[in-house]
Amino acid sequence: MKNYLTLAVLVVAVFVLGSCTKDPVKNLSPEESRIYITNHDSTTSFSAFKTFSISDSVAIISGNHLQEKTHDAFDAALIAAFANAMTQRGYKSVAKDQNPDFGINVNNIINTYTGYVDYGNYYNDYYGYWDPYSWGYPGYGYYGSYIGTYQVNEGVISIDMFDLKNAPESGKIKSVWNGVVRGKGIFNDGSIGTSVQALFDQSTYIKAN
Amino acid sequence: MKKTTYLFIASLFLLCSTGLFAQDGGLTLKLNYSLAVPSGSSKDVISNTSYRGFGAELMYHLNNKLALGLETGNQDFYQKYPRQLYKMADGTELSAVIANSIQTVPILLKVQYNLLPGAIIQPYLALGAGGNIITYNQYAGQFSNDGKTKFSFAARPEAGVYVPFRKGSAAGVSLGAGYNYMPFKYNGIDNLNSIAARIGVSFPLGN
Repeated sequence: MKNYLTLAVLVVAVFVLGSCTKDPVKNLSPEESRIYITNHDSTTSFSAFKTFSISDSVAIISGNHLQEKTHDAFDAALIAAFANAMTQRGYKSVAKDQNPDFGINVNNIINTYTGYVDYGNYYNDYYGYWDPYSWGYPGYGYYGSYIGTYQVNEGVISIDMFDLKNAPESGKIKSVWNGVVRGKGIFNDGSIGTSVQALFDQSTYIKAN
Repeated sequence: MKKTTYLFIASLFLLCSTGLFAQDGGLTLKLNYSLAVPSGSSKDVISNTSYRGFGAELMYHLNNKLALGLETGNQDFYQKYPRQLYKMADGTELSAVIANSIQTVPILLKVQYNLLPGAIIQPYLALGAGGNIITYNQYAGQFSNDGKTKFSFAARPEAGVYVPFRKGSAAGVSLGAGYNYMPFKYNGIDNLNSIAARIGVSFPLGN
């Protein structure tokens, strides 16, 4: 009887030890936990565009619905960092009413559920977050390529670039680039520079010349 | 399936050729610590040596040479790759630290043959064959990117030495090395084979 008790204790001990696996998530630094995703319209020649205008606030989108637009210190720093990166790539920042070639919107998507996000919905509702009227194109619809294969259950920084230059001719506002930042600490001021740099580093095609 | 059959027939042949039914032994439990070094194409998934392996064997000694039993355990493999830019099929660019995590839980029927029973150092040969529960997960940053749990065939030929604590004792320590044959066809992965080294302590559980 004693032997079988020993056996049971030892087998349990082995399986407790055996469950000592290295946790892949806990073994990451905040920087390592982050992913940077970009997607662009392959038919767009980014050097054909020379000017841009970036939104002056960040849209907070939760559950595929616009909650509010904010402009706190973090938002301002993020917008400024992105605008600065665009300038370094040769684009000129202009006001919305000066016919910018690119329109850039900055979003903070908050989803607290798990599952694959249908970015189609995100874009279908885009009209509600950023009225095309704000770009001077009332009644126009958005369209373009989307990122749709990643599981989301946290805050995501998502930046979209639109072709305003050809909007009058096509009658639509085409999405030509989307950048997404996810992971730990992305809403810390200190990570803004790294995030914007990473998005541009992997988007070498964004250049005016 | 064919390979399983061959191994089973080979095991039976080995048992019969050594006086299978001359039962004079008892039950022993062996607890193992093991490390595993990925080999062959499994290094494409994880090349790091795993130092996180534990196992248990329950063996019935048919005679002083031959033992038959069950073996199970757990070996944890992990590897993190430096940040890299990945171009996806749909044109998406993903910059991420990719980490692969694999846990293997073999459940094997085992036969062991002692070459020098009664000696101070007793070399042995062993062969385990059965199944393997393999859990494979890939992470992009902190996000699960891919995952699969499969039950597939597993085999482990092994050689080692057993050193009893006292002459003739069923308690002792053993050192062994073996090859973990673990086919795992999934998403471009062919197998998760590895070379394993292990140290174990045996206890008698009575006759």
